[in-house]
Amino acid sequence: MAHAKEAEIFNRDESKVNWHDKALWFVRNKRDKAGSNVKGWEELRNLASAIKANVLSNLDNYLVQFEENAKKNGVHVHWAANAEEHNKIVHSILSKHKVEKVVKSKSMLTEECHLNPYLEANGIEVVDTDLGERIVQLAKEPPSHIVLPAIHKTKEEVDVLFQEHLNTKPSNGDPQYLTSEARKHLREKFLKADAAITGVNFAVADTGGVVVCTNEGNADMGTHLAKVHIACMGMEKIIPQEKHLGVFLRLLARSATGQLITTYSSHFNKPAPGTEMHIVIVDNGRTKQLSRDDFRASLHCIRCGACMNTCPIYRRSGGHSYKTTIPGPIGSILSPGIDLKKNSSLPFASTLCGSCSDVCPVKINIHEQLYQWRQIITKEVKQPVVKKSVLKITGRVLANSKMYGFMGKSARFMLKHMPRFMIYSKLNAWGKARELPKVKDGNFDEWYKKRQKNE
Amino acid sequence: MVILMSGIKKDKKMSSRDSILKAVKNNKPELLPLPEIDLDVFNEDINLLETFIKSVELVGGRAKVLNSISDLDNEIKALYPNAKQIVSSVKESDFGTVSISKDTDPHSLETIDLAIIQGEFGVAENGAVWISENDFSIRVLPFITNDLILVISKDAICLHLHDAYKLISKRERTFGLFVAGPSKTADIEQCLVIGAHGAVSLTVMVV
Repeated sequence: MAHAKEAEIFNRDESKVNWHDKALWFVRNKRDKAGSNVKGWEELRNLASAIKANVLSNLDNYLVQFEENAKKNGVHVHWAANAEEHNKIVHSILSKHKVEKVVKSKSMLTEECHLNPYLEANGIEVVDTDLGERIVQLAKEPPSHIVLPAIHKTKEEVDVLFQEHLNTKPSNGDPQYLTSEARKHLREKFLKADAAITGVNFAVADTGGVVVCTNEGNADMGTHLAKVHIACMGMEKIIPQEKHLGVFLRLLARSATGQLITTYSSHFNKPAPGTEMHIVIVDNGRTKQLSRDDFRASLHCIRCGACMNTCPIYRRSGGHSYKTTIPGPIGSILSPGIDLKKNSSLPFASTLCGSCSDVCPVKINIHEQLYQWRQIITKEVKQPVVKKSVLKITGRVLANSKMYGFMGKSARFMLKHMPRFMIYSKLNAWGKARELPKVKDGNFDEWYKKRQKNE
Repeated sequence: MVILMSGIKKDKKMSSRDSILKAVKNNKPELLPLPEIDLDVFNEDINLLETFIKSVELVGGRAKVLNSISDLDNEIKALYPNAKQIVSSVKESDFGTVSISKDTDPHSLETIDLAIIQGEFGVAENGAVWISENDFSIRVLPFITNDLILVISKDAICLHLHDAYKLISKRERTFGLFVAGPSKTADIEQCLVIGAHGAVSLTVMVV
């Protein structure tokens, strides 16, 4: 289903949409404030962008360097060409250790690879331990935002969910109570887990270490209690040197939630004595995206979610309307590269206002790439006849000033004199769920000429 | 379309590692330079201690400035009068009641009320304190403890993360982290709740 249709579903509950819109805009404002308090913020973004561009232009060498250094530290390194191979590798590590229970901290990559259902089908219990992810896991839904996975859920919905699954008492959605119950529930899971899976925020080529950032401490509770730690990473997570973490960690939390830094920024270099650490490096379409000159920069992404929080479409359509692992503006330039036909409506789910590019900490030209995808999609994917012919006619009208003037006049006449049921009919999409503006006499051109005459 | 077709053509005989690296080599753009970080852009002449304390509070923690390390135990006693199971890895503190070593089972720390850990330095811009495995023996300790106290010297505060990474560049790399405030979440309707999975409070003692 096209994005616009999916968005309609989310828009059925108007008060929820309004809340969602405001909540995310609030986060966007916090991001602005956090950024403006940093001396040299724009230079920081330039640096991050240039470092990422260097990484992509030398990625094979950095990957080899990273592998070499990680192995020296006693870490096992695996390579997966696609999601299927990634899942098999993770499962084989778990099988070797006869693992029955796994705790997992946030990793968009494992979502992308659909790791949970794969492991569950093989008889392994997987518990997502980030609170937001646990909520959507219990609700059997995917995350709707990469940083705020349950942003589409009200506290009352969480209350009902926890009553059912955690035997909590009705609390009218008291966040303090619900969080403390989740803490107890997940504490049990941490203590009993045989293995922990985490994502990777940054992988450092010159040390072979990985950095994992959380606010809740769930990644660390999992990894330091279990015997086996598996860190799964997309290959673009590489940065050249440890000092570059200074640049990226200053940007990440400020851009994501307006925090100065996440509570925990954990640097894993060597496994603890008596434990094993594995890193799985995953391609799954990334090398393909690397080959595309116009879209390569989408691989700079550090998954902060700032483009979602600022996007007027995302805020009012919800993450689930995108039907992809990564929703929002960044998802809409990544997903067509994975499946052009299935995701062909996503680059159109944008006003091209450019706000996403303005807030991106690594300066991805998101709105330009959305535009570029549109050029490809209209050529490669069959467009609806109505859209095609309307755009053709519009093109002719806009190219001819006389015709444009006539059409404007007719439209104003009709809006003024036609009965309401005809204006707000199925034929006029602009009249759907909104009042059209009151018609003024004359157009801009006439007004401007009159004004000049009077001067 | 060329851009849509050129991906990995996986050679059956080649390992995924080699096929990925080969594809990257073929698909990457021409080498672009790695930029230098010019610290002049980020440096500021500000009071490090004051900024640090403000940042610690902003990230949900509490900072206490002590005149002398000998005040440490009295201060802790005043803040946590009910703590019973206490691990201290700060040699100036006699407050510890549970001793741990490299051989301690991390699961046994589940009942710890309070951990007192020596931090290496603080970061003024974000209130983070760097601690490394050498300072606390068992990796899970600063997370599994109910409350956490970090002790740093008031001379060990740097301006920003760029300086912080200079300070840890020569360390023995096993496990280490920046801790900024207590564990927290806002995953239920964006309401900030302190105390998610890690320590529910953080106090930084600046001596």
